[in-house]
Amino acid sequence: MDGVRVGKRLIGTQSPVTVGWENVPRVEGGPVKQFVFTWFQPTVLFALIAFWYYAPNSIAKASTAIGIGIGFKVLLLTMEWFFPRHESWRLTWKELVTDLFYVGLGYTILRMIDGYIGDGPIIEAIQHYFQSDKFMWFTGMPLLVQAFLISFIFDFGQYWMHRGMHNWYPLWLPHSVHHYITQLNINKGAVGNPVELFLIGLGIGGFFDFLPRAALLAGAFGMAIGTYQHINVRFNSPRWWRFLFNTTEHHSLHHSQDFEASRSNFSNTYIFIDRIFGTCVDGEAELLGMEGGRRMSIREQMTFPFTEGWKALKEKYGRAKFGEDGFAEPAGVPAE
Amino acid sequence: MNARFIDWIWHVRGSLTLAPEQSSDDAFDRLRPLFRETGTSHELASDTLTFRKKDQAAQDKMSVFDGGVLQIEKGTAGSVLHYCLTSRALLFCFLAPLLFLGFAQLTVAIGKFEKAPTEAEDKAGKDKKKAEVPMNPIDKALGAPAPEKPKQDGADKAKEREKKHSPTSAYVFAAIFAALYVIGRILEDRRLKALFRKSLLAA
Repeated sequence: MDGVRVGKRLIGTQSPVTVGWENVPRVEGGPVKQFVFTWFQPTVLFALIAFWYYAPNSIAKASTAIGIGIGFKVLLLTMEWFFPRHESWRLTWKELVTDLFYVGLGYTILRMIDGYIGDGPIIEAIQHYFQSDKFMWFTGMPLLVQAFLISFIFDFGQYWMHRGMHNWYPLWLPHSVHHYITQLNINKGAVGNPVELFLIGLGIGGFFDFLPRAALLAGAFGMAIGTYQHINVRFNSPRWWRFLFNTTEHHSLHHSQDFEASRSNFSNTYIFIDRIFGTCVDGEAELLGMEGGRRMSIREQMTFPFTEGWKALKEKYGRAKFGEDGFAEPAGVPAE
Repeated sequence: MNARFIDWIWHVRGSLTLAPEQSSDDAFDRLRPLFRETGTSHELASDTLTFRKKDQAAQDKMSVFDGGVLQIEKGTAGSVLHYCLTSRALLFCFLAPLLFLGFAQLTVAIGKFEKAPTEAEDKAGKDKKKAEVPMNPIDKALGAPAPEKPKQDGADKAKEREKKHSPTSAYVFAAIFAALYVIGRILEDRRLKALFRKSLLAA
């Protein structure tokens, strides 16, 4: 495979990828379908912003946000079922069970652990130590600015954490499990080793004090933009949307079996962060995963970072490196 | 206890009558492509096909199953294909509600354990009052509802803790997996039968 030159890199030499918006297919079908799949994303985003901006205090609560979130996921699952982007990414019973297992972990045990050792308590401890209060002046800013800042600060941190995961082996180990998914579906964002799910949830937003409504608006940004990362539906996202926001196209490239392609599009919500730091590649891929698309079982997903980490440690410091007689053994040369 | 009383949880059994003129060789020839998927190995010995799957692809039509035996028996009324397949995914889904019920119990237990020491803290916190919440003039002009006055710290904390130790989501997921198991056990059984039937009839 020749691949495509993007900046200094050759993308798609190991696995087929599509690079450039002009090469990405558009939604097929009649004018109504075209219209719906062009305007769905912006309509939902602006409707949610308007809702959270104007909803009375009695409605603007976290419980409403959870309800909307679940309803939205069900709607997107239905869209996936009737309008799949790739037949090869179709949701099966087993995939659904696997995905929901991780979603369930996120809502239960991981949330509980996070309550003790996550960013919230850590930040509280730091503030307590320095006897500092939260940055209260944030609450005086316009709501939408606060909301954008909450999501941007989190996404900026997440960008570097994610990029770090792709560049430093100890962080790559827990994250690698997420890259063994072979198709994208709505809940695939939750699939990964629990250690990674914990790490990726860390943020510094807790240092600032925001109005509760701003936090709800920020949640709406995340939901109405970030959710599309792992969706098996094709949209004709407007140009400005694809320029600013992460899309399933960007993220499919990030999950591609092609190594160079996987080292792009690290942000969660705002793809312009990738554009700023030169890691954005506009395009898409259908063949996803690691090791040629080997699907990992849940058991292996749970143990993989530890077993691989142990192997790496043994290789580096273990006796095997020096052999029984104390002499270094010739290093294995991979065939390809 | 006889294992057969419980092994229906992760075993899918069934039988299909072959067409009168269909030989067992022909039947296995037609079924064999199903076992040429990635991660699948199979052996055929006279009238029995045994297969095993590892890291099966998500889109493998039999991805739910990890192994099994297919046997063709010749009877007076014609040949019958009997099959018995095992599925770790079904077993996992059957056990998942127990796991989530366990999480629920753990949440409740931790909540009880933490309740005692924090009540005193609440009392101490109640005396503090928070400052008025400001509202930006732009938001006022655009007509956004004014932020609520902050409640006393103690009440807020108690509410937060209650939420933190709520087992509801764990119960919800236990119910979801119980429902998914029932759906999967029936659906995958039927899909398998339809798949074998279709393969046997394939030209």
